[in-house]
Amino acid sequence: MALLRPSSRSRRRKADSGGNRMWIWFMLPGTLWMTGFLIASLILVAVLAVGTTDELGNPRFGFDLTGVRALADPAYTEVLVRSLGYALLTCLICLLIAYPVAYTIALHGGRYKNALIAAIVVPFFANYLVRMYGWSVVLSDDGPVLRALRAIGLADGDTKILNTGVGVIAGLVYGFVVFMIIPLYAALERLDVSLIEAGRDLYGGPVRTFLFVTLPATRQGAAAGLVLVFLPAMGDFVSAQLMGGPDQIMIGNLIQDKFFQGQNWPLGSALTMLLMLVLLVGMFGYLRRTRKDEAEARR
Amino acid sequence: MSPAPPTPPTRRALLRAGACGLLGAAAAGCGFMPAQRPDAGALAPVPPRVDGDLVYFNWADYVDPAVFKGFEKEYGVRVVQSNFDSMEGMVAKLNAGNRYDIVFPTAKWAQRLVRGGRLRRIDHSHLTNAHAIFGTYTYFADPWYDPGSAHTVPFTAYKTGIGWRRDRIGELTGSWKDLWSDKARGKVFLLDDRDEVLGMGALQLGLDVSTGDGRDLDRIASLLGTLRPRLRGFSSDSYNNLLNGNAVMTQAWSGDMAAMLNQAKDPSVFGFQAPKEGTPINSDCYAIPWNAPHPGTAMLFIDYMLRPENVKKNIEYIGYPMPVAGTEKTYADLVRPFPECLVTQDDLKADLFFRNGGRAAEDARDTAWTHVKAG
Repeated sequence: MALLRPSSRSRRRKADSGGNRMWIWFMLPGTLWMTGFLIASLILVAVLAVGTTDELGNPRFGFDLTGVRALADPAYTEVLVRSLGYALLTCLICLLIAYPVAYTIALHGGRYKNALIAAIVVPFFANYLVRMYGWSVVLSDDGPVLRALRAIGLADGDTKILNTGVGVIAGLVYGFVVFMIIPLYAALERLDVSLIEAGRDLYGGPVRTFLFVTLPATRQGAAAGLVLVFLPAMGDFVSAQLMGGPDQIMIGNLIQDKFFQGQNWPLGSALTMLLMLVLLVGMFGYLRRTRKDEAEARR
Repeated sequence: MSPAPPTPPTRRALLRAGACGLLGAAAAGCGFMPAQRPDAGALAPVPPRVDGDLVYFNWADYVDPAVFKGFEKEYGVRVVQSNFDSMEGMVAKLNAGNRYDIVFPTAKWAQRLVRGGRLRRIDHSHLTNAHAIFGTYTYFADPWYDPGSAHTVPFTAYKTGIGWRRDRIGELTGSWKDLWSDKARGKVFLLDDRDEVLGMGALQLGLDVSTGDGRDLDRIASLLGTLRPRLRGFSSDSYNNLLNGNAVMTQAWSGDMAAMLNQAKDPSVFGFQAPKEGTPINSDCYAIPWNAPHPGTAMLFIDYMLRPENVKKNIEYIGYPMPVAGTEKTYADLVRPFPECLVTQDDLKADLFFRNGGRAAEDARDTAWTHVKAG
């Protein structure tokens, strides 16, 4: 891969200097879309964070720091820290589940590779909310799972799955694990198997070869997966709503509350900006990491 | 075709295009600027007459489809349906300039829309069936949310109480304190609704259900703090929680309990009580937005919906009582296992509606709710 890089770069430069400006046209739809729907709405949220509400509960532009000041309430910090913990734990569990799955499919899937990946992806075509709702019925106290466990003596009348921290994290893992499997699969699929063979030839045992050859080679896939899982998990409110109890409320639930029941868009916007800030710090770390990786690869 | 080859946009042009997109999107946010009040002449009542198809905007499944069919056939118009999933969503659509002929706000939201000058006036003398409401249910002749019911006609009414599993914990004592019962510990849900939860606390302390006073709210929050460790969660899905056994007791809306009767194999295992400290009341109403394209058809629709046979069909379909004289028995029959679902004249007189507060009061309630919910 490292060998290919210089040549592909020089080819690109040649195309540019040849006056081919196709790329501009290709970028246009994406640029318009992002400015229109992402950046503009972000600006709107930032502006509304210092806005006000009228007597109808409608948000209005203005300058009022009540919403921002309300963030000092320790309740928000507590919930934010809890969400961060849940999201990180979700990332870790997703990684532990996804790696063996992606590894098996990529290296031992043979001609069933595509079918196996499809089998993983297809259930995710169904809406996340609908699937979570389904789980909340399946895992309910009189639902099939607990009834079966009670019948074989593995659970008693007080055992519950729903409305616990375990339930919320299980929901998050279930909801987002596919975002970890796909980039890991892509990384493992690209992995040159002869590297593993070389590791074995150099007297590396299976564990050492995995730790020092396979794992570093797929580090970028794992990093991409971690980001893809972390971002939605951190802002999620569906899992905590359907699988959690009063002690599992996440920051997404509070934000949703502010926009709906509270009709307090300024505070909701301020909370959103706070969440974005936390996520940006994480993203920044990721970008620095990948840039360092790229620099290493180029050397 | 121009002879010169088309010049591709430069980087600067691209930035300019992006900036235009940005401005356009920001302009879409102009709904957040102070809105102009529609002029009063545009809000004058109109008589019922066919002036186009009916553009209908309501909660999903909140009218018997057979009633729509009957209306379409009788007046030769179509009913163009769309649904909202929250009051906030409905008002956002109205504010964005979407045009509907008929909408169904709750009392609190009706007041906001009336104050904002967003509803066309309705002349009750135009409605042949209006006396069945206003003649008997005098509360609605001059409700707090719309003086003289000048812009609205009541549609449904409902109350909040406690739903529970008789088969698991036996009988209750008829008080909101039952939520603290040790028999139900860990299997109690509260509605995921700020007003309902704070209101329940207020009723036990003898305070105003809509209080926005800081000291009142502190007392409510500390009372609810003693319930929190006994709670399983905040959820408005009361009937599923009772049916699937997650809850043995839950704060519940009467309409949901009535709807549960269709789902439950044996309704006698469930109960619904309206606690003696008082039960919050709410109602939905018909309203015609100021910019309705076909207000005449909307008037015809309201009158058609108020015909006793249609009221009965709707009551049976949605499980909510309607304040229309002569239909009380239909509802009483429907909810025979839960007689306390009925909304009586006395319930209305107790007047435990959730009211709109000023900005400071709403903020204080919001903060109290965050503390109750997030602990």
